[in-house]
This record gives sequence, structure tokens and C-alpha cells, in this order.
Amino acid sequence: MITAGIDIGSTTTKAVVLKADDQFVYALQPTGIEISSVSRQVLAEACENAGLQPEDLDRIVATGYGRISIPFATTTITEITCNAYGVHYLFPNASLVVDIGGQDSKVIKFDKNGRVVQFAMNDKCAAGTGKFLEVAAQTLGVPVSEMGDISQQSQNKVSISSTCTVFAQTEIVSLIARQTNKEDIAAGLHESIVSRVFGLISSVNPDPQAEVVLTGGVAKNVAIVNLLERMLGRKISVPEDPQIVTALGAALLARQWES
Amino acid sequence: MEEILATFRDYCEKPYERAAQIKAAGKTKIIGCLPMYFPEEIIHAAGALPVTLFGSDDPITLGDGHLMTNACDQVRSSFDSLLKGKYDFLDGIAAIYICDQVRFYLEVWQLDHPVDFFHQMWRPYKWDSSTQEFFHRELKRLIARLEEFTGNKITTEKLKASIRLYNKSRNLMRQLNELRKEHPGIIRASDMACVVASSMLLPKEEHNELLAKLLAQLTQQELSAGKKQRIIAVGHPCSMPEREILDMIEDNGMLIVDDDFFTGGRYFSKDIALNDDPLDAIIDFNANAIPCTTGHYADAWIQPDKIYSPYAEYVIDLMKHGQAKGVVVLKEMYCDPYDMEFVLMKNRFEEEGIPYISISSGSLEAIRTRVQAFGETLQFV
Repeated sequence: MITAGIDIGSTTTKAVVLKADDQFVYALQPTGIEISSVSRQVLAEACENAGLQPEDLDRIVATGYGRISIPFATTTITEITCNAYGVHYLFPNASLVVDIGGQDSKVIKFDKNGRVVQFAMNDKCAAGTGKFLEVAAQTLGVPVSEMGDISQQSQNKVSISSTCTVFAQTEIVSLIARQTNKEDIAAGLHESIVSRVFGLISSVNPDPQAEVVLTGGVAKNVAIVNLLERMLGRKISVPEDPQIVTALGAALLARQWES
Repeated sequence: MEEILATFRDYCEKPYERAAQIKAAGKTKIIGCLPMYFPEEIIHAAGALPVTLFGSDDPITLGDGHLMTNACDQVRSSFDSLLKGKYDFLDGIAAIYICDQVRFYLEVWQLDHPVDFFHQMWRPYKWDSSTQEFFHRELKRLIARLEEFTGNKITTEKLKASIRLYNKSRNLMRQLNELRKEHPGIIRASDMACVVASSMLLPKEEHNELLAKLLAQLTQQELSAGKKQRIIAVGHPCSMPEREILDMIEDNGMLIVDDDFFTGGRYFSKDIALNDDPLDAIIDFNANAIPCTTGHYADAWIQPDKIYSPYAEYVIDLMKHGQAKGVVVLKEMYCDPYDMEFVLMKNRFEEEGIPYISISSGSLEAIRTRVQAFGETLQFV
């Protein structure tokens, strides 16, 4: 059976095509506002990378916040269930995943079969998400992809007291006015995100020995990984492609999902 | 059946239309009661119509000028409705101090917007012989004020007749709930909430008649739960849950088989006994009410190393009796008593390995993700 998982995130749409021999290929694109057509394009691209046609797909599972807008999907499954399943497939010993995406962050506790036991989401505001970093990077005038590296050069980290993206921006502007180094501001911002995520982790009472995996676009930020490791006091695993884990989980679940 | 359900929905859409009609007819005084626990039977026995004040879903524009924005929505939106003239049909207001917010709110109400009949009552947070005696005096005080205001004497016989009528209403709603447990999905949870909420808005005589018709038609229905998971829903101790969220739950692989909402099981689970002394019966009903997050259980709390929450045990029992696989907790934002009890409840759920989800606010899409994810989780339990 050939399946696909398509994860329509707030920032990026990801498609994974999973072949019968467990080999998988993927494609991704910014989501934009044309969810349905972008999804078709991403899926077509993933199929092309796999040497297949979209017609060759037996089942397609749509996930992510735009999942209900995909008419060609066989079914929809939430990003919570898909993410945990994808992480379990890549890290069979893990039991906790922290996913920091563009619009929300979530912590999912799952069992030895990859099934969700408990989850917590920050979906009410952009604090503690990729959007927070994006807005802050814009204010600091640096590319978001460089934020992690810049923060690691900090000699004198400042504290960003606000956990709200809008108020944090005001705070950054004040810090800039006081000629604070952008490296120190960036370090404070990273700590603010990680503190927020740490609170979310605590709310699901994780097993202190659990192997923790970090996924989502923000997992590419080394400074976030380091800070979270320090706060949790243990090593964190990061997949090679942290953005596509949810789409991979969707493709895996497509194999077994009953109508 | 659909026609009757639509009538119940209509009453919830236009909650005070019927009461305003009755008021316009000119004979019956209408008393608005703030949720919850107000002994409506006493108002009925005085020949007046008690109507529950639910506030409204409209944006709060005027109310926030008088109340703090971290007061619960029920309190702020009721005050907003008052200021917008939505309660102009009322002859009076009556409420029990169920929490600090309501008490504070009533004081602001009395100062900023006085009405002819304004009755505030204490109801003990902890029950023993001294507080029962105190509540007895509070009930007598209510009776005296209502008699003076309506000009009608509340006799023992009248009060017993009102209790009988309200028991009949509770009994009909219990029958509907039992049907829902036996045949999940026979009535949608959002419609169930409308049935109960409308009973707080209409004369019970009219509501009982309509509900009896619905029951007669529902029992002829045959239904299968299919692959959907049985769950119970709790929360909203003194407000109505959003019907859209209830529908969302039932459209995502779950069926609500029982609940503990103000507009649900909490309102109809128990009857007031038809004793010789109806006041004693009302006291007994309150003292032995189903556990509530606004109650105090100080003696039971003092148990080292043991989580004790009578409310949590009640919810767990509901779940067992309803053969439910999980619990959805719909929390009213800024409801202090519920938030505090939720900590204990959550710990008990975790001790018992009960799947649960708590939803308080957020965009509907964000709530849909949580609800759907919870439904998916239950399929594996």
C-alpha cells in the first residue's frame, strides 16, 4: 500500500509519501492562503520525488490546522495523534514529544505503541511558538533562521518578562532604545519561549526518565534545543527533519485507519 | 420530534420572550433568578414566575464599565444584559450567594441599578445543624418578602403543590436522561441542554407538557451508538455550555451519555421530598444535594496523603454508571470554585487512569483539534 500524509501547518505545508517498503520521501512549501491548491502542489511534488503519480496513492490522511480543507484526503486525523505516531516510529523508546510549530506548541505523552495518553496545547496565543520568534526577529532586524546562533553569542542575557508576543515586541523596542545588544535580547527571547514550553511539559506530568523528542520547525533552532535540555536536565532527541514528523505519522496511520 | 426540539431551541435563542409575554398579560410578577440553587418553588408558590438569568452571547460592551474583566462571563454578561435593557420585563431579582463573584456582582447591581424587589440570600457552604437552622431563617425571610411583594400568602399546601410540579419537571428530565444513557445519541447533547435550560425560562406547567410530548415521540425511536465512544461531560456549574462545542464533541466520534451541567444533571438529578413541612424538605434537599464545587467539605479534606474531592468522586460515579470511557470538562473561564476543584479532580482522574480533557476557551478551530484528538485517543482505550 502506498500512502501519503499531508500536514497543513499555519506556516508550512508538508507532504510525506510512504511506500510499501517503508521508504518515504517528502516535500514542503509555505502554506499561504490557498490551502487546497498548495496542498495539491506539495503532494504532487512529494509524489514526483518518489517517482509516483498522485493517482498511485491508496490513502491520504490530512492533518494540521488546515486538515478540514483538503477535499482529496481519505480522512482527517489531528496533528496530536499523527505527531505522536510519527515520533514513535522514528524513536521507538520515546514517550514524550514537544512540538513547537508556527502557531502553537504542544506536548504529547504517548505509550509504547505510539498512542496518545495525554496532551497539552498552547493554542490561545503566539507566545512560546515559532510566530513569537518570527515577530521578534523582525523587530531585531535579523533573519529568523539566524536567531538561534545570534542568541548563543550572548554575554549578558536580558530577561524578557512578557509572555505575550505583542507585549514582548514592545519590550524589545524598549531594550533596543536602551542600546541592549541584539544577542542578549535574542537570548532572553529564547529563554522566554523555553520557559513557556517547560510549563506546558509540566502540565502532563511526564515520566522523569522519558526520552523526549523535539519536533516542529523550531526544533531546527539549536539554541532552543540547548536551553530545553538544560531546563529538563536531560538530552533531547531531534529528528533529522523535525518538520515532517507529523506528516509521516499521518502517512503511517493512513495504512491502518479504518473508514 | 424535530418540531418539538426546534421549539426548545427557539426558547433558548429568545430566552425571555415567553416571560415578557406573560408579563405583558399583566397578572404574573416575573422574578429573575441568578444561577444557581435558588428555591424557585417558593417563588412559584407566591404566584410569581421564576426565570433564570443566563446573560447572553452578545459582546459585553456596557457591563465592563461596572465589573472587572476577570469576573466570569455569566456575571459580566448578566450585568451587561441588565444595562442594555434585556431584563426590563422583570419585576424583581433574586439570587443566592453561591460564590464571591456573584456576591460582589449583586452589590454592584444594587448600587448601580436598583430594582423594586431585590432579594439576596445566603446558602450555607457547609452543612450542619447550625447552618441548617440558619438556612431555615433565610427561607422564612424570603417567604415574608415574597408575600409582601406579591400580596399572595405562601401556604404549606401551595408550596407543596409547587414542589410537586417541579418534581414532575425533574422527573421528566430524568426520564429523558435515562433514555440518553440507554440509547446514546437519541437526543443530541446540545438539544438536551436546550430542554433543561428552557425549563428555567418557561412556566413549568407549559414545559412539562411539551417535554412529555417529546418523551412520547422519542421512545418510539430506535438507535445504535455505532462506533462512537460513550463519554460524560461536566462543567459549567452555573451557565449553559456552548451548544456548538457540544455538537463538535458528538460530531467527532463521541456521544455524551450523561452530564453534570447547570443546564443538565445538576438541575434535575434529585427531587425535593413531599414532607409535611416543605421548608424542612427544601433544607434537606440542599443539605444533601449532589456534591458541588462551591461547597466546603473541611472535615473530609483533613486527611493526610489522600486526595479528597466529593465532586470528583461524583463525576467518577457518573462515568461508571454511564459506562463512559472518558470525561470532557468544559470549564467556564474565571470560575474560581471550579478551577480550584479541578486540580483535585484532575489528580483523581490520573489516579484512576480516566482519560479526560479540559476545555475552557480558545478559537473554535483550536477547540476542534483538542476535541477530535481526544476522540482519537479514546478509540485506543
